[in-house]
Amino acid sequence: MSVDIGGLELRGPVLAASGTFGYGTEVPLLERRALGAMVSKGIFLRAREGTPPPRIAETPSGMLNAIGLQGPGSEVLIRDYAPRWAEWDFPVLVNINGESAAEYGELAAMLDGVPGVAGFEINISCPNVEQGGLYFGNDPRAAAAVTEAVRRRTRLPVWVKLTPMVSDIGVIARAVESAGADALCAINTFVGMSIDLNAYQPRLSFRTGGLSGPAIRPLAIHLAHQAARAVRIPVIGIGGISRAEDALEFLVAGCTAVQVGTATFVNPRAIAEVHDGIAAHLESKGYRSLADLPRYLPRD
Amino acid sequence: MFVVGMHAPEIAATVRAGQFVNLAWPRGPLLRRPFSVYRAEGETIEVVLKAVGVGTAQLLGLRPGDRVSCLGPLGHGFDLSGPHAILVSGGLGVAPMPLAARDAHAAGMKVTWVHGARTAAELCTEAEGEVVVWATDDGSRGFHGTAVAAAPASGAIVVCGPNRMLAAAAERWPDAQVAVETYMGCGTGVCLGCAVPLRAGGCDRACKEGPVYRAADIDWTVLPAHLPYGVGA
Repeated sequence: MSVDIGGLELRGPVLAASGTFGYGTEVPLLERRALGAMVSKGIFLRAREGTPPPRIAETPSGMLNAIGLQGPGSEVLIRDYAPRWAEWDFPVLVNINGESAAEYGELAAMLDGVPGVAGFEINISCPNVEQGGLYFGNDPRAAAAVTEAVRRRTRLPVWVKLTPMVSDIGVIARAVESAGADALCAINTFVGMSIDLNAYQPRLSFRTGGLSGPAIRPLAIHLAHQAARAVRIPVIGIGGISRAEDALEFLVAGCTAVQVGTATFVNPRAIAEVHDGIAAHLESKGYRSLADLPRYLPRD
Repeated sequence: MFVVGMHAPEIAATVRAGQFVNLAWPRGPLLRRPFSVYRAEGETIEVVLKAVGVGTAQLLGLRPGDRVSCLGPLGHGFDLSGPHAILVSGGLGVAPMPLAARDAHAAGMKVTWVHGARTAAELCTEAEGEVVVWATDDGSRGFHGTAVAAAPASGAIVVCGPNRMLAAAAERWPDAQVAVETYMGCGTGVCLGCAVPLRAGGCDRACKEGPVYRAADIDWTVLPAHLPYGVGA
């Protein structure tokens, strides 16, 4: 069940998605044996308070969240969390965020070489303060600039988490591949909105939020597939995975691994169940490894 | 108001007043729903609920012997010490109070329970304590006014009810322990969805640092007063 993600060997194809596993220290119930890797909660250079409540709203088969990337900042991460990660038997990648390409680079440089930090997942769904708040992830040049800024400051694996809120994900995928990404994570949450009919106001204080959960799965599979067709580097599928069958859909659609997110909120054993279910599927079909799994990936 | 019992020996053995469980049930909503533990006896725990939405209606439709998934006990409960506990509850805020009375009695405290509702018909029927005070907004039973106004002034004060009521309690008793109501994603501290805004700045998590807070520590102007729990499918 091991997979190679751009040179990083993982013991399994099921990873914990950023923001759904904290810093890995919070939930004692979680089964870690099946975890291929963990992506930390998103972090900025400096501490952030996050958005006021309400921060989440449930929707049909999904949830909207606007947490606002609340976090303690990079110094606390290095002091309190990385030393613990260094002792674990699976790699931890840090989800990094910034307001400018230079800030992403600075954060990567600061974390590079810290024991316990195995690589980076760049969240390009942040507003670019230097470009009037346009999202890095919506513009191939800005997405490439951020990737390059991080690439220049580290030799660790650099993954880029793509936003689905684009007209052609292949264009962004190719841009960040050329800028030096080792892998792509597809996709981040969709921007959504829901209205409270008592207050005649949005249900989230931030007005909009990121939609996750089973509601987005077919959209996510399509976008992960489009990304995988566009590039040669591995694609890690994300979006509404709660069972092994969901993960297998992403794998067959061209992904090398998957991340499980919202499902962990509901079922602390979700990652282990997805992992074990994939293994059982391979065995029932007589495949000796994931490499034998048939893929549907016609090249563009 | 309905009471639902569950066979949950590990939780029943360790739960403290103010702690909660996070429930999921077959064909239920995507996210779990948090419930204060109402009573715990032997191997059974109870929660109390109103049929407010599709989810709670499904829960009430379960039959004896059906299985639910129950995570808990979660959060930090009330700290009960001193000679006299004053329990103040409004509406469904009754939920943690029988356990609070139990824990207070175990600590050798005398218990006064003040419970309020809009009308006599909406009051709960079960109350524990040496002194029980009823309050109704319309005066149809007991004190005419809120439970916060009806409560005696001194003692270890513990409050649970709508956030609007808790804000009023914070005005009267800055040191009261209040159990807040928030939306909750995971209930285990990872999603940061159940943010409770603090006067000192920033937010922490109702599911982990809470749901019990010192009343004056919360920024009541930012905590939502009502929670539209609509899911819609």
